[in-house]
Amino acid sequence: MKRLILTLAALCAPYSAIAAEKVELSSDVYVEKVSHDANGRKSVVLEKPLKVVPGDRLVFILKYRNVGDRTAENFVVTNPMPSAVAFQETLDGTELVSIDGGKNWGRLKDLRVRMGSGYRDAVPEDVTHIRWNINDDISAGSQGKLTFRGVVR
Amino acid sequence: MTSKLKLLAATSVIPLAMLGANPAYAEGTTAGTDIQNDVTVSYSVGGVAQTDETASDTFKVDRKINLTVAETDGITTDVAPGETGAVTTFTVTNTSNEVLDFNVSASQLAGGTAEHGGTDNFDITGLQVFVDSNGNGVYDPGTDTATFIDELAEDASIAVFVVGDIPGTQVTGDVSGVVLTATAREGGTAGGAVGAALTESAGANTAGVETVFADGAGETDGARDAAFSAGDDYTVAAADLAVVKFSTVISDPVNGTTNPKAIPGAVIEYCIAVTNAPGSATATGISISDTLPANITYDAGFGVTTNGSYDSVAGTCTAGAGTGSFSGGVVSGTLNDISGGGNSALVFRATVD
Repeated sequence: MKRLILTLAALCAPYSAIAAEKVELSSDVYVEKVSHDANGRKSVVLEKPLKVVPGDRLVFILKYRNVGDRTAENFVVTNPMPSAVAFQETLDGTELVSIDGGKNWGRLKDLRVRMGSGYRDAVPEDVTHIRWNINDDISAGSQGKLTFRGVVR
Repeated sequence: MTSKLKLLAATSVIPLAMLGANPAYAEGTTAGTDIQNDVTVSYSVGGVAQTDETASDTFKVDRKINLTVAETDGITTDVAPGETGAVTTFTVTNTSNEVLDFNVSASQLAGGTAEHGGTDNFDITGLQVFVDSNGNGVYDPGTDTATFIDELAEDASIAVFVVGDIPGTQVTGDVSGVVLTATAREGGTAGGAVGAALTESAGANTAGVETVFADGAGETDGARDAAFSAGDDYTVAAADLAVVKFSTVISDPVNGTTNPKAIPGAVIEYCIAVTNAPGSATATGISISDTLPANITYDAGFGVTTNGSYDSVAGTCTAGAGTGSFSGGVVSGTLNDISGGGNSALVFRATVD
């Protein structure tokens, strides 16, 4: 009987720790369809990615929510770019990016790519990973949204 | 600069070779490919790192049908009256994101302005279309026999030849316009017959792979019809040859070379001059034969020269460096090719009996 209690305790301990400090996360993709009406007015509609062909503009929306009962700190969101999608921009512009598969990180304007014996400035298409280091603590119950754009290669 | 920024600057130079593993998508991600986006959140609570949270979202890339047809050399194809198997070359490029078959067909203009500005005024006979089966870009009769494009890869191009005969009655400046139309068909099976016709997905979107026509309007086809067309033309250029023959007395036994007269024993120089009218096609394989008149004797010492030149204004010939022959009372020789506006001459001598 004593052994059984110990086993139960061991099972419960990690479970309760995760349950208490849980963060919910979701990733959604939409296709940005631009259309012009008879008067030339432009309208942009976000559609579910059901009909997607190369060249289409995609909007990725990452939502997070602290469903735990304590504040989350050092909140870092990392999103590798799908290989068939070329990164364009983020909505907030505070992201760090990697152009080498997540080894090195920086602002896009600071990154350079070797070209033969010289270098060129990195362009959005070079990006392999995006990361947001969210400095503010995420208090219990609060939520946020991060948005970035890409183009189907 | 903070220490963090210094670190970023120091590590920001990345060799391009590391990026070389990224797949190339010249004509787009292949239809049916899943695009999966994964996102990870790491965080701490009370200074203790927690298990990362992940989420992902996946969708399929649909099929984008696109193609181009272009005339290959950018100039009209010069042909001669009566020429058979005259070829114009087109390039068909699959700019879809899937391997496809293509039907190819040729049609003729019925009047109107042809591709390179001329006015269409005749039709090619025996018009046929062949695909460059051996991929060398040149029409090889008997080898390039395929009549549709089988399994053209994404972003790949192939030459297509329109082949036909020029009626012998055509004259210089006649133009015949042709249009090549390529139509995308289902791919997926090598060999056999051409794939089935494509249909654009209609109605509500689904989560599966759908077909979208994305091609532009070509010479004779509309936009978004899975077909593309381009024009080219044939221009007839015949050679227009004229021949003159004249003789000059070189010397006689009494006066020598001073105002010689055609008395017995006099040396006569004959010139047969051939001119090709300006703007005509180059004349090839020109041969001349001339039967010597009676009462003169061929001058074997001078021989027969070919490829000389003719001054039509002065009416004089200059012997050339080539040689002809004399046999059985007939002088003969062949001349080099004469381009439009050019001339050539055959020169020989004889003495008056």
